[in-house]
This record gives sequence, C-alpha cells and structure tokens, in this order.
Amino acid sequence: MIGRIKTQTVEASQFLVDWMEHRTGIVTMLEHFLYEPVPKRGAWLYTLGSAVLFTITLQFLTGILLLFYYAPTTDDAWNSVEYIMTDAYFGQLIRGIHYWSANFLMAFIGLHMGQVFFSGGYKSPRELNWIVGVILLLLVVGLSFTGYLLRWDQDGFWASVVGMKIGSYSPFVGGYVIHFLLGGDVVGPATLSRFFAIHVWLLPAMIAPLIGAHLFLLRRHGVFGSEFEYTDRIAKLHERQRLEEYARYEADEDEGEPYVGRRDRADREGYERDGE
Amino acid sequence: MAELQKDPITRSDFLGFGVMGAIVGAILTIPPAAFVLSPVIKTDLLGESDVGSGWVEVASVSEVSAEEPSHFKVEFPLEQVYGERAIQKKYPGSQKSDMKYKLDNAIWLSWKAPIKQQGRQGSTGDIVGKPERPAFLDQKSEGFTESERKEIMSRLNVLSNSCAHLGCPVRWFPHEQLFLCPCHGGMYDINGGWVGGPPPRGMYRYTEAEVRENGKLYVRHKYDIEPGLDKQQPYVV
Ligand code: HEM
Ligand code: FES
Repeated sequence: MIGRIKTQTVEASQFLVDWMEHRTGIVTMLEHFLYEPVPKRGAWLYTLGSAVLFTITLQFLTGILLLFYYAPTTDDAWNSVEYIMTDAYFGQLIRGIHYWSANFLMAFIGLHMGQVFFSGGYKSPRELNWIVGVILLLLVVGLSFTGYLLRWDQDGFWASVVGMKIGSYSPFVGGYVIHFLLGGDVVGPATLSRFFAIHVWLLPAMIAPLIGAHLFLLRRHGVFGSEFEYTDRIAKLHERQRLEEYARYEADEDEGEPYVGRRDRADREGYERDGE
Repeated sequence: MAELQKDPITRSDFLGFGVMGAIVGAILTIPPAAFVLSPVIKTDLLGESDVGSGWVEVASVSEVSAEEPSHFKVEFPLEQVYGERAIQKKYPGSQKSDMKYKLDNAIWLSWKAPIKQQGRQGSTGDIVGKPERPAFLDQKSEGFTESERKEIMSRLNVLSNSCAHLGCPVRWFPHEQLFLCPCHGGMYDINGGWVGGPPPRGMYRYTEAEVRENGKLYVRHKYDIEPGLDKQQPYVV
C-alpha cells in the first residue's frame, strides 16, 4: 500500500517536472544555474560571492518590509523608525537585519573582491565581470550612503552632511553634485525625498539587472579555476612543452596549432593571448 | 566577427535614423533629466536659493556672555518641495508642521578677543587675550546710538556652528576654551579662528548681521565664503 502511494507520488511529480521542462525548459536551466564545478582547493572562498548575494537579497526583503511603516518626510521619518523599533511586531528584528546585513554586505563584498583579485579571477575572458562587479560595488556604496539619512536622527543626518560635503569637493562638478543630492542649497525636505527615491527605487532598480548580468557572465565562463579549466590549462601547458621540445630537435618544423579544449571561441582567444 | 546587422545600411537610412533618433532621444531624456536636476538648474544656473533672503532675529546682544560664546537658534524661512512659497500662500491654513518651512541653524555669538600673536593656518592658532565686551552694555540693553551699534558690530563675532571642514555642528567647551567639532576633531578659538584639526580655515561668519534700536541682532543667510571658491566649495548647508 505505502509502496504504491510512493511510486504513484514519484510518478506524479516526475510527470509535473517533465511537463514543466517541456514547456519552459526550466529544469535544465535550474540544473545549469545550480550546479557548477569548483576546484577542491579553497572551495570555501568561492562561497563569498554567494554570501554577497544572500545579504543583498536580505536587504531587498527587509527593505520592502520596512517600507510598510517607514514615512519619508522630515516630520515623520524619525517617528516612523521609532514606531518600527518599539511598536511593530519584530520591528527590531527586521530593521536590525537591514542594518547589520548592510554592514556585513560591505565586508563580504570586500572579501569577495579580494578573493577574485588574489586568485587572478578577473583575467581574460572575465574582465567584464570584474567591471560589472565594480559597478555593483559603487551602487551598494550608494545604497549604504543614502540609507543612512533615512533614519533622520543625529547620526545619520550628520554623516550624510559630511558625505555630501565631501562630494562638494570633487573637482569641477562639486557644486552640481552637492546640489543634486541636497535637492536645493540646504538640507531640507527635498533632501530626504531624494535620498528616499534613490535608496528605495533608483539604486535597487539598477542593481537588480546588474546582479543578473554578473551571474550570467559567471555561468558563461564558469568560476575561475574550475576543474575543467585546470585540466585544460595543464593539458595546454603539456602540449606547449611538448611542442617546444620538438622545436628544439627539429628547428625548421612548423609550430602547429596547440590543443585548445575551451568551451567557446572567446575563451580560446583569451587563452592564446594568455599563453604568450 | 560578430555581425549585428546583415543588410547594409544606406546613407539616407543612416541620416534618417540619426535625425529620428536624436529627436526621440531628446523627447525621452530631457524631461526626466530636467525633472530630477531642477534643484541643480535652479541653484547653480539660475542662482536661486531655498532660503529666504530676509532678515531674521537672533537675540538681544546684551544676552551674549562676557566671557564665553553664547549660542542661539535661528530659523530661516525655507522653500523646498512642500514648503514652497506658492504652496504656503495657497494653503495658509495647512501649516501642520514647523519643520517644513524652516531651516534651523545655530549661531555662536562671542565678543572678539584681541589677537596677541597671529597664528598660521595649518600650524598654530592665534594666541588670544580676554574677550572684550563693550562696557555700555552694562547700562543698557536697547536704544543704542549709531556709534554704539557700530562698536557692537565691530566687537561681535557672528559665527555659524557649521564646521568649516565638512559641516558638523561645533560646540564650545568651557574647559578647553575652544570650539570643538564632534566629527573629526576640528578646533577653533573664541573668535572662530582655526586652532587645530582638519578644517582648512576658521569658522564661517555671517557677512550680513546688524544690531537694531531694540538691541537685537538680525542676520541674513550669507557667509564669508572665499570669493574665488564659490563655484567649488565649501558649501554651508
Ligand atoms: C544593497 C542594498 C541595500 C543597502 C546596502 C541598504 C542600506 C541601508 C542602510 C545602511 C540603512 C540605514 C539603516 C539604519 O541605520 O537603521 C537603510 C535604511 C533603509 N532602507 Fe536600505 N539598503 C539596501 C536596500 C534597500 C531596499 C532594496 C529597500 C526597499 C525597497 C530599502 C529600504 C530602506 C528603508 C525604508 C530604510 C529606512 C528604515 C531604517 O532606517 O531602518 N533598502 N538601508
Ligand atoms: S566636520 Fe568638523 S572636523 Fe570634520
């Protein structure tokens, strides 16, 4: 009896999976997205990127929750945060997560960048992913900066004044920068409105597609130093050594095309340049 | 070579795309850009300010302590988004909040202390003596004559509390006999002169201040920002 239910359930779910796969291709896609070979050595370091993704996701989720109570006006901002902290159920938790996760996010991003930098993961053909990453970093810095003013307490207020005035010292555009951020020439209601718009709409809307691009490029080229890549590189190295050996014995023989087992042409071209 | 377009593009096509593209692009980008940048256009290009240009009362000068700086809150009328003058005029009764319509600033007033030895910006501050309060203030606190008002203004430091480094609010510390900034440790003497820390100059002074018959000090929202720097820095916000 139990056995029969079990087989029936398995069949039913298999049917559902197949049904979805036929119509959307989602299963192969998920497989493609979720399974990625990484080298055994230093495997934990490869989770730093996921840690960044996780904390950003937390920011989006808790940020949206905070918006249920947060009121972005000079009169109400502080009060509404106070309400979140004292009256709303789990308000301290939700705001606390948004606050701490913002801090850890910066730390994770730093570590993640360090890992990519020191392992040389930014090299061809992954330069663009480094560039996308740097843009993401700048956007997250922008989010941290604009979020802090939203509390509208002494800390956030003066930190933002200092930040804006630092911006005002940028060469040639300083005045425009600070007046853009202030929404006028002094701190006032316009400043809070803009910071709110930038924090809650503009930057998240810019960040989301770039995260997509970052992941797409990651999957396209694989994590740097993945098993296959090492195998390839070592094979290529051996091949070259072999050819060099030949060349030494038979001085006038053509060099010949070295073996390249890359997934696509862009990679191969990158590699040939690497090898020089 | 990757190819985006298979058909060759003709010269007139190219021109057509270019002209249409420019027009459509302008229609799509100019309104939102101008919308978002309107404060920049208003302040930097048209030279407007959100702060009302009228005189605002600070305090009676006789209230300024003889030994130490005294601080006063000033409220400048402010026009920004929902506090625009047009809106305030249109709906006078809807003034639910003070904050929307006012820019709160703090002013430090002190009697000038004579400089005994001139310091140098970046190395040492001035060596100053005791602050000199006009003696006639002991007798009267209003109804000053023309010459008395002149004397008061020549002896009074009218300082903004906005640090000349990056704008944090500075406060007088009686024990140190200095203005100290909480943000990065800027230090100023009783005249607002630079003593130590990162600020590149002394405290900002109000350039438009006057004492009236009633013995009160009035100011406008104007500071002694070096003229050569006005497009760049620093901004008193
Ligand atoms: C990478 C993403 C983000 C970062 C780094 C970030 C950072 C911050 C920071 C540092 C604060 C100040 C928190 C505090 O001191 O209490 C803040 C506040 C806030 N954030 Fe974000 N944030 C992010 C994304 C979002 C998103 C996506 C939303 C909404 C859609 C959001 C909504 C808010 C709101 C409403 C507040 C004000 C409430 C408060 O101050 O606690 N945030 N954010
Ligand atoms: S803002 Fe005063 S020392 Fe930096």
